[in-house]
Amino acid sequence: MIESRVIEHDIIVVGAGLAGTWAALSAGQQGVANIGVLSKIHPLRSHSGAAQGGIAAALGNVRPVAGTGPRGPLEPVPAGDEPPDSWELHMFDTIKGSDWLGDQAAIELMVKEAPEMILAYEHMGCVFSRLPDGRIAQRRFGGHSAPRANYAADYTGHVLLHTIHEQALRHGVRFYSEWYCMDLIVEDNICRGVVALDIRTGALHLMRAKAVFFGTGGYGRAWKITSNAAANTGDGVAIAYNAGVPLMDMEFVQFHPTGLYGKGILMSEACRGEGGYLVNREGRRFMEDYAADKMELAPRDLVSRSEQIEIDEGRGTGADGQGIDLDMTHLGREKIMTRLPQVRELAMNFAGVDIIEGPVPIQPTAHYSMGGIPATVDGQVIADAAGTPVVGFYAAGECACVSVHGANRLGTNSLLGASLFGRRAGTAMAAFVQDGAGLHPVSGDPVARNQARIAGFMDGGGKKESVGQVGAELKETMTRQCGVFRNAEEMGKALEKIKRLQQRFGQAGIMDKSRRFNTDLLGAIETEHLLTFSEVIVASGLARTESRGAHYRVDFPKRDDQEWLKHTMAHKASDGPILSYKPVHIFTDRYPPQERKY
Amino acid sequence: MTGNRMEASTQSAAVRIQRFDPDVDKKPYFRTYHIPVTADTTILDALDAIKQHQDGSVTFRRSCRHAICGSCAMNINGRNTLVCNQPVRAHLDKKNQISIRPLPYLPIIKDLVVDRSSFWEQYLKVKPWLLPPDGVPEKEYRVSPDEVAALQNAETCIMCGACYSACQVVALNKNYLGPHALLKAFLRVLDPRDSQPGQRLQQLDGDYGVFRCHTIFNCIDACPKQLNPTEAIETLRKLIQKRVTFAAAREVRQEKLLSESR
Ligand SMILES: Cc1cc2nc3c(=O)[nH]c(=O)nc-3n(C[C@H](O)[C@H](O)[C@H](O)COP(=O)(O)OP(=O)(O)OC[C@H]3O[C@@H](n4cnc5c(N)ncnc54)[C@H](O)[C@@H]3O)c2cc1C
Ligand code: FES
Repeated sequence: MIESRVIEHDIIVVGAGLAGTWAALSAGQQGVANIGVLSKIHPLRSHSGAAQGGIAAALGNVRPVAGTGPRGPLEPVPAGDEPPDSWELHMFDTIKGSDWLGDQAAIELMVKEAPEMILAYEHMGCVFSRLPDGRIAQRRFGGHSAPRANYAADYTGHVLLHTIHEQALRHGVRFYSEWYCMDLIVEDNICRGVVALDIRTGALHLMRAKAVFFGTGGYGRAWKITSNAAANTGDGVAIAYNAGVPLMDMEFVQFHPTGLYGKGILMSEACRGEGGYLVNREGRRFMEDYAADKMELAPRDLVSRSEQIEIDEGRGTGADGQGIDLDMTHLGREKIMTRLPQVRELAMNFAGVDIIEGPVPIQPTAHYSMGGIPATVDGQVIADAAGTPVVGFYAAGECACVSVHGANRLGTNSLLGASLFGRRAGTAMAAFVQDGAGLHPVSGDPVARNQARIAGFMDGGGKKESVGQVGAELKETMTRQCGVFRNAEEMGKALEKIKRLQQRFGQAGIMDKSRRFNTDLLGAIETEHLLTFSEVIVASGLARTESRGAHYRVDFPKRDDQEWLKHTMAHKASDGPILSYKPVHIFTDRYPPQERKY
Repeated sequence: MTGNRMEASTQSAAVRIQRFDPDVDKKPYFRTYHIPVTADTTILDALDAIKQHQDGSVTFRRSCRHAICGSCAMNINGRNTLVCNQPVRAHLDKKNQISIRPLPYLPIIKDLVVDRSSFWEQYLKVKPWLLPPDGVPEKEYRVSPDEVAALQNAETCIMCGACYSACQVVALNKNYLGPHALLKAFLRVLDPRDSQPGQRLQQLDGDYGVFRCHTIFNCIDACPKQLNPTEAIETLRKLIQKRVTFAAAREVRQEKLLSESR
């Protein structure tokens, strides 16, 4: 058997997407040398690399040609002209997009720092698309009232991730590639480290640190139809919850309007940003019935619901009427080849359609997790509504909830938030460590505890259930009963079903009993995590008897600010989550709640 | 009704997977699994289905499932490719059979999972990061659309290793930097924001650099993103011939970059 070791670092970062890598890099730049970054897949495989459309910042480099209206063609803004965009506009769009659930001070900070963040990427070597005069090109994105998505064709996340990873290597950041974090150690509200599995050898190690950061990404894998990578199983969220940390606003999950039909793979919002149409069975651009002004570029929650209504009322496309056509043929070959090359390749490979020649069938797909581990703008994780810090524990990126996205995230704001709050958390951790934080003792034997967990899966005797089957039923349940449209009855059933699945999971075993690179085992632990946080999503959604942003209750179709202008906080207890609530930060003089209309 | 939607008829495929756990097996062997496939079943879908329903010990890497993360490069019927964007049917032979092996010439960790350590070491050797000019600019560096277009051949590389493991020169000489690292070097040399193209070219002129490439084109054939490392290597060779003037021209270009970004 391979030795279990105790590994010590000043800072341990779990996750090597944009959030984690920025956290490590910025802590390193502040002078902390002893940093370890864990990633369950090679850092460059992180899901940030799959982001397509762009990263938001009000650079004001382009504007619609005068006299062509808000959807007219874009032109570069000549030097000396009034900038057509501002952080104030970006702030308002984000607040409105969030359906007033976003914390406004956090949003203000994000949009103000955004332009500098883009420049930081550019100066580090990120290859953005350009205007003829060499400035960064920008495109429109849903819910943004000005073109402020800075992009690199339709593989923006890819170039951001490679750029930041390279810079981390340049500064000597130490990566533990293919190490899986299984457990977080918090005692007396002080974080002490993690337990990690070296996937290649199968050995479990205790990793102690003065500060631990989670940037473990999203959790779309709880749904059957999702745009998310296989790695997006919400490990960090579930692990933190199990360690007693609350989860915030978990009921808010964004469904992206354009997932490839039947597969869920994302067709970037850039398809619509560049002018693509959504068309129903009658050949009509049905968005004119739902958002006559913004049309296809209304925010995601609204477009997904509109599509679902068209499908439910019999106006869907395709043989089974369960799709919607995304038509880009009028954009022409030239534009498609330069702006949407990856999208074209995806449609060809996965739907057999050349978007230059014909429409591609799409449907709503589980995409982005607004909720997560509650954290401040400096990444400090909090233990309750009063804001008590979990000492030494930090989080940012999609696993965290700051909350800048509120009830519905605007596209391109998440690459921004992950980068910016990851970087801020790195700086804050460096200060924490340099102010004399120490390693705290660990009681009990967490490695043995997790070893027993693994042995439980391996133990062949009398296991009647398969992990895969339980996972498949969970995904089916979440898609059917906790999707774009929700109601008390269906969510009630979903909650019961999840509890039954959790029990059945106790009887589930795996087939691969080896130690080396056991992906069967990882799949089991990940499924356990899915079952853990899905219960919180459904319980939080069931309790919230209103419709806000991505959380749409057919039985409570109105937003209810009187009762529900507040964040959900869920703490783990033996028989399910205990819910409490936290006020939303609002600048009542500047951005009081309004009706959200597009 | 959408025109090109794939039809859903099902057929049975024999999927031969190379298995190997160095802790217990003396050498690699094949196991065959039979599964139903439709026109849009990808090879990755097939592997997932086998793992879930037939044999949980079949081991492979994957994540994004749409050809962007670079996890899932393998060898299909003798050719390197990603498996997440390839339909099974396109690779079935007359007996309805498909053979899946790990990327060749790399140590096997388990089944279809290979050890890419040497691949990443070579990547590190070319200093894949940008080395920007001194001085903190206030705005973005102004890079022209043409300069950006010239980088596209390298910028979209997903580091999957398909080219590296198909390269005959790598197979014979582990010190050779390899097509992926040279493509990255090309990206940095051509980027007007990089301040060290001269030094980079000097390194690439060395024993294990661009002149080792035998122009066999295996890398182009293997690349799932249709990139052309050989062409990049050709370009680098030409630049090495005029290294000094190229580096001098870069210095001039950088002065302009800096003055425009203030
Ligand atoms: C298809 C797609 C397209 C998108 N396009 C855009 C866009 O155009 N603009 C935009 O703003 N946003 C976009 N998003 C959202 C955005 O990409 C993500 O929210 C963001 O990249 C998340 O970054 P992150 O650093 O938080 O997490 P990730 O990049 O997902 O990284 C998570 C990291 O955590 C590691 N990890 C997870 N669990 C463990 C564990 N247990 N142990 C060890 N390591 C672990 C993983 O290995 C990985 O390194 C898109 C999302 C999808 C799905
Ligand atoms: S799974 Fe990401 S490239 Fe195939």
